[in-house]
Amino acid sequence: MTDVPVSRIRNFSIIAHIDHGKSTLADRLLMRTGTVENRKMKQQFLDNMDLERERGITIKLQAARMNYTAKDGQHYVLNLIDTPGHVDFSYEVSRSLAACEGALLVVDASQGVEAQTLANVYLALEHDLEIIPVLNKIDLPGAEPDRVIEEIEEVIGLECTGAIRASAKEGIGVDEILEAIVRSVPPPQDTVSQPLRALIFDSYYDAYRGVIVYFRVMDGTLKKDDRIRLMASKKEYDLDEIGVLSPTQIQVDELHAGEVGYLAAAIKTVEDARVGDTITLATAPAESPLPGYTEAKPMVFCGLFPTDADQFEDLREALERLKLNDAALQYEPENSTAMGFGFRCGFLGLLHMEIVQERLEREYNLDLITTAPSVVYKVENNDGETILIDNPSTLPSPNERRKIEEPYINVEMITPEEYVGPLMELCQTRRGEFKDMKYLTPTRTTLVYELPLAEVVTDFFDQMKSRSRGYASMEYALIGYRENNLVRLDIMVNHDPVDALAIIVHRDKAYPVGRSLTEKLKELIPRHQFKVPIQAAIGSRVIASEHIPALRKDVLSKCYGGDISRKKKLLQKQAKGKKRMKAIGTVDVPQEAFMAMLQIDRG
Amino acid sequence: MASQDGSDISPVFEAQRSAYVHVPFCRRRCFYCDFPVSVTGDRRHGGNFSPVDRYVDSLCQEIQTWSGQGKMGLETVFFGGGTPSLLTVGQVEKILRAIDGVFGIVPGAEISIEVDPGTFDRDKIAGYIGSGVNRFSLGVQAFQDELLQVCGRSHSVAEIHSAIEILNAVGADNFSIDLMSGLPYQTPQQWQESLSKAVAIAPAHISVYDTIVEPKTPFARYYEPGVFPLPDDDTSAEFYRQTQKVLTTAGYEHYEISNYAKPGFQCRHNRVYWHNRSYYGFGMGATSYVNGQRFSRPRTTTKYAQWVETFVANNGKINCEVVTERDRLLETLMLGLRLAEGVSLDAIASEFGQETVDTILEILQPYIEKEWVKMIPERNAIRLSDPEGFLYSNAVLSSLFADG
Repeated sequence: MTDVPVSRIRNFSIIAHIDHGKSTLADRLLMRTGTVENRKMKQQFLDNMDLERERGITIKLQAARMNYTAKDGQHYVLNLIDTPGHVDFSYEVSRSLAACEGALLVVDASQGVEAQTLANVYLALEHDLEIIPVLNKIDLPGAEPDRVIEEIEEVIGLECTGAIRASAKEGIGVDEILEAIVRSVPPPQDTVSQPLRALIFDSYYDAYRGVIVYFRVMDGTLKKDDRIRLMASKKEYDLDEIGVLSPTQIQVDELHAGEVGYLAAAIKTVEDARVGDTITLATAPAESPLPGYTEAKPMVFCGLFPTDADQFEDLREALERLKLNDAALQYEPENSTAMGFGFRCGFLGLLHMEIVQERLEREYNLDLITTAPSVVYKVENNDGETILIDNPSTLPSPNERRKIEEPYINVEMITPEEYVGPLMELCQTRRGEFKDMKYLTPTRTTLVYELPLAEVVTDFFDQMKSRSRGYASMEYALIGYRENNLVRLDIMVNHDPVDALAIIVHRDKAYPVGRSLTEKLKELIPRHQFKVPIQAAIGSRVIASEHIPALRKDVLSKCYGGDISRKKKLLQKQAKGKKRMKAIGTVDVPQEAFMAMLQIDRG
Repeated sequence: MASQDGSDISPVFEAQRSAYVHVPFCRRRCFYCDFPVSVTGDRRHGGNFSPVDRYVDSLCQEIQTWSGQGKMGLETVFFGGGTPSLLTVGQVEKILRAIDGVFGIVPGAEISIEVDPGTFDRDKIAGYIGSGVNRFSLGVQAFQDELLQVCGRSHSVAEIHSAIEILNAVGADNFSIDLMSGLPYQTPQQWQESLSKAVAIAPAHISVYDTIVEPKTPFARYYEPGVFPLPDDDTSAEFYRQTQKVLTTAGYEHYEISNYAKPGFQCRHNRVYWHNRSYYGFGMGATSYVNGQRFSRPRTTTKYAQWVETFVANNGKINCEVVTERDRLLETLMLGLRLAEGVSLDAIASEFGQETVDTILEILQPYIEKEWVKMIPERNAIRLSDPEGFLYSNAVLSSLFADG
């Protein structure tokens, strides 16, 4: 690795909406600068996790150092710091942006600005980043670069005369982008002489070397034999190695202000080296940490239970392993009368929740039952104490509480104007309060609502997408707690209350929700050899009731010679289905039933 | 369920004493049918180069290629379809001669053929009998023209009656009729009528199949199980009970989930399947169970003809997995519990070990309490009760499949 003066370092990230071509562009930059050889190029190099590749989104951010000889004949080091592209991870995005001096704003020339992009651009502007607009997919027949430029100028107020027209897929505009980075993104400040402060923008757990920390040196110099201190977690470590990411890890002896690198120091869990924490020297610490560090605060909770009680210990181990790599994941043991032993888990948002569930099932081979997501309620009990409730089944009864408050969020949606009506209707049915509506361009609108988070963590996102035929995008931020008339709705299956199915709802919606939920459960729970009543109740008052009629026959009438293998398969399937169900008393309840809340029609 | 790893001992498979011959041709495909068939339409095939002749050639070639198995003597042969009665007497003769030449057919063997109303006359039946056929299975399904139409059957009620007249006239007194319960729009009255008419005809054997909506059939496109016009679960379960009552009262033994016979007239060929014994299978889509290998042939005539060529070239070698010991156990239970005689626990113990028997009994305990499963102490056997145990047979079997 050649040493490059601070004046020739450029640190930048890419801001883009999902599908607008961020990863493809990153791949192009890596190839064009010779950082990754063509033949070694896996599609979308930066998205490392299988899950990310399948979903086409970036969850874990990473970084890459590129050497680039610009048209001025000088050698530059360009550090690309990737950002995750989902609202659940906005804190991580803000830390990545804080490590940069510039950002490429990549917008699909056939689509336009989306809510998530907008939120991240504002974040970048707050951090004083130089923004280079890039209109991607310029080669597509539907591309309207002029309209989109107008939109960027109007919506963000960003000067777009220098906007680059590109097609990452076709390699168009890649050279212009590299030149623009060199020309427009300011070099880092030369603060090499100050005490070391390095900003962690990512970390992951490696089974052999402990946590690998990705950081940007903001001030001073880090040497490979230094002893470091993490200013938030207050832990100290001797370094094992430091290096740069090109994009594979290459060890170096020192990294100075402006540079981006990684370190390994036998750190046991990412919680000890969290994103946003400041690395300094144990021997000569900086006076104050870098600004912006925040504790991870889970917003969405759910119960995770193994279908097979024997897998409880495996689930605990798997959560421990994931936690090594995911500081935002919270979990504690939960004992449900219906479900047995499991864990109450907290997540940053719905996507985070889905990712964790999927990884547990896929990578750790666990069969899980997930309960419907819940938010954290603030409940004031009769002693005037405020307690936090993240599990509906633990809500104190009405005579033991004075009031319940629930979290509210500010939701900003960007949508083509023809979907404004359906989206407003959606927000109204979810107890939303209308705040604002603005035309971005004659055909695109922002719609701002304040909504209870509980109404959004169910199927709001899917509903928004389906009501806008996929065109609307959204962004949200927590704005505080509000008191509401909330009640707990209990569900009884065959007269047994099922704590894992209990939900907290607004009293005005208890009847329709109770009705839809019992109807849905009737669909999802298979017939048994006896009649199974399903009821929804507030306290002891039943407000909705259905029953699953008894199964009268379960027989394969014909079975001749050629049929034997097929009939056997059918029985095996039936046997497997049985295994994946949870027995509530004498009733077998399938996994989907515990998520029924997400599937009901809420008007 | 406990079962030893069978890898160290390769079980000695008994010789096949039965052969199934598939005749895929049909004038049209019935709306519920997902069998391997080849639709011919109503035209008659003449000449030596009809598709049926070509098929019979492939079939005989396949049979010849099995000659390495030795001439053990077959006790049952079954022509199933499709519509085997679309074959000429000469074609049936040719196939039976080929089988006899390769395997031998023992005197007194049961030789069955499925026949459909409207596809045969007295000469044909007499000719079949002349070539050795001694048992007929008549596809009736329903005694109401409107229901036959709903099923897409290619015959009328009148043709059913003349078919029965023909069988009686030529002295083919060992015949069975097939009926289907739970058809779309079928009322309890219609079902009672079908049962009464069947009893009045007094065949030696009656098969009653509850309608199954098989994927990719027209029925699957038109109907949803349990939803009108299909009867709901309660009604079709009632049909089943009604059948059991009417037919047993009329002197038929309910010897298998869907089969009834006058004493001495159980279908010997099908009992081979239910006893999980070995059998040959010839023809398009046919499955054979030979040397522990369950092998299914290609399901179109062209692919079958190609396969026969390869099979001949391989000198009759079949490449497929041998059924594992655990699967053999599950198959033995799945098939054996279809029979009223049940499954002999002594036989299970000697083949799979006493431990296996103990596990089975443990799993079945709740069902024994419900009286869906009954012990037959004098034979140390278990069986499903009739009709309740039979009606819930899948629930019982899937428990055996799940816990092991």
